[in-house]
Amino acid sequence: MTVLEIRDLSVEYGLGEAAVHAVRHVDLDVPRSRVLGIAGESGSGKSTLVYGFTRLLRWPGVVAGGSAVLHVLGDDGSESDVDLLGATERELRSIRWSQISVVLQSALSALNPVRRIAKEFDEVLRVHRSRLDRRGRRARAVELLEMVGLDEDRLDRFPHELSGGQRQRIMIALALALDPQLVIMDEPTTALDVVTQREIVDQLFELRQRLGFAMIFITHDLSLLVELADEIAVMYAGEIVERASAAELHGAPRHPYTLGLINSFPPMHGARQELVGLPGAPADLANLPTGCSFHPRCAWAMEICKTESPKAQPVGDTGRLVACWLHDGIHEVPVELRRSVPERHPL
Amino acid sequence: MSASPILEARSLTRYFTVRTGDGGRRRKRIVRAVEDVSLSLRPSRVTAVVGESGSGKSVLARMLARIVTPTSGELFLRGQPIALGTKRGLDYTRDVQLVLQDPFASMNPVHLVRHNLERALLIHGARRAELPARLSGAMARVQLTPPESFLDRFPHELSGGQLQRVSIARALCVEPQVLLADEPVSMLDVSVRLGVLNIVRSLADDERMATLYITHDIASARYIADETIVMYAGQVVERSDGVTLIDEPAHPYTQLLIASVPDPSDPTSVASPVVRDEGARLGVADVGCRFAPRCPFVMDRCRSEEPPAFVVGSGHESKCWLHRDGAVATPVKVANSHEGVPRA
Repeated sequence: MTVLEIRDLSVEYGLGEAAVHAVRHVDLDVPRSRVLGIAGESGSGKSTLVYGFTRLLRWPGVVAGGSAVLHVLGDDGSESDVDLLGATERELRSIRWSQISVVLQSALSALNPVRRIAKEFDEVLRVHRSRLDRRGRRARAVELLEMVGLDEDRLDRFPHELSGGQRQRIMIALALALDPQLVIMDEPTTALDVVTQREIVDQLFELRQRLGFAMIFITHDLSLLVELADEIAVMYAGEIVERASAAELHGAPRHPYTLGLINSFPPMHGARQELVGLPGAPADLANLPTGCSFHPRCAWAMEICKTESPKAQPVGDTGRLVACWLHDGIHEVPVELRRSVPERHPL
Repeated sequence: MSASPILEARSLTRYFTVRTGDGGRRRKRIVRAVEDVSLSLRPSRVTAVVGESGSGKSVLARMLARIVTPTSGELFLRGQPIALGTKRGLDYTRDVQLVLQDPFASMNPVHLVRHNLERALLIHGARRAELPARLSGAMARVQLTPPESFLDRFPHELSGGQLQRVSIARALCVEPQVLLADEPVSMLDVSVRLGVLNIVRSLADDERMATLYITHDIASARYIADETIVMYAGQVVERSDGVTLIDEPAHPYTQLLIASVPDPSDPTSVASPVVRDEGARLGVADVGCRFAPRCPFVMDRCRSEEPPAFVVGSGHESKCWLHRDGAVATPVKVANSHEGVPRA
């Protein structure tokens, strides 16, 4: 029961020799009503991936290959497939917002500054829910605002009259206006304070529980993802280097980059000790290293890593995928990368 | 407390007047950006100031750097009072250096890194002959080696993490005694933040630098701080030696802040004690405690009278009426105001 299937998706900026390979051969499945987290640093391709399969990419971004299929569940329970990359503009228009919606990081630039909030709701409902009259649309807008914990009077405000958290709640209410099956959150809380972030994340979870949509949650904050995602994919230099359940990924990472990323967050508990994090700087997409793109920063880099890029392989029997030569069954796996999942994770 | 403070601030306060257009009438409003903040920066110690956006932490850093003139309050450098409101002069800037959040915006983009660093030295009266040695020295202190491979590049050719190190090197090359770091890692990639934090820590440990570390990232404060201060709406609401206030928060605001931090190692942190009233959230009380409109423990007194700082433990103070009468070492645990979010 997947809602989205992505196979071998590649996205590039520019053409030919000068192309920047922003997303390379990504496979992803999003199960219905589940949360897939995508973690990565800036430039890892996590946003480009989303823009690629939602067809929101602008020139010079081009989808260079692969497929993305959305399984749309009809009211009668039947499934129909939409080939997102092959769909015409007309087909796209019918599924955008109603089946897939996106919440972006900056709510301020996503809302029209010279329009009252009510207008944003009114417009989408008028186009997609034409049987609703004016009063019906207003009622639906009030209902949506209430869902995200805002009072009706916010509808008559302009975006600049609201706080960052309120604006982001409005974006979420808008994204849910047409009961989509898949909601994509691209760093929705990065610009917000930690207290506001907590409120919004909690709210999202109540809503997902109630409405049952699937979610792709993109962020650089791995600790946040561990709390809220069912499954996490870690991206580095345009590739998914590890994909596993949240508890497995955080409690027992298998890829050296995942381990380094986890160790880059100072803990909120326990004795203070010096952490090392990761040496070097994130890979330059315009000038990728040969072989595994992480090898220049990897403590366990071997000869093969410098020449050949590892493919994602299943590790263990829980469906975890890891793209690393250390886990090819021939090489000795370092002790740091074969810990078992701690019991205390009740996730 | 070890050595005497290098830089000391007493009751620093800064008000801004803003004009709001309201129905054609223009009104003046006072924003109390920072009010009555005192702190001491001592050799070898990192003082962390934690606060959310709008808490006044950056205005505080700018007052300490004397870029913003305080409305009132006193500043002492090595015990000597500073005449505020006068030109700050080179002596002050040599001793007290500020590092900002965005390294790309803090460098002149049309000049080489070398020029950016040399300029700082020349302004402070260095002789040309000694420049190469001093530049190499500063670059080595921030672990950018070999220096030549960074000095002869333009700022845009370096990564964010490298350029922030350059920015710290520029501050260091005039041999300051106080380093004010305003969110030095929040714009950097997650994987390179630790490197910069470790440099800030080692400058305090190895070179006796008195350091102010301003951040909204509580975990990073916990990682390097010798003393921690929490600001809310321009005021210090809680302070403690070490990171006591992070491990045992006393003030309701600090408790809320810490409960909100994503913490994968503590599964109980999922529920947050939040007062869900968006209307009140925007407001900061004019009288009484500024946190009262959001506080789950608010009492009548909080709405009318501003609390002083009460001692709640060794080297630990909380500006909250809950802690009057020396309610020592009994930090109130916030009860969860709602059930934990159900997990799938």
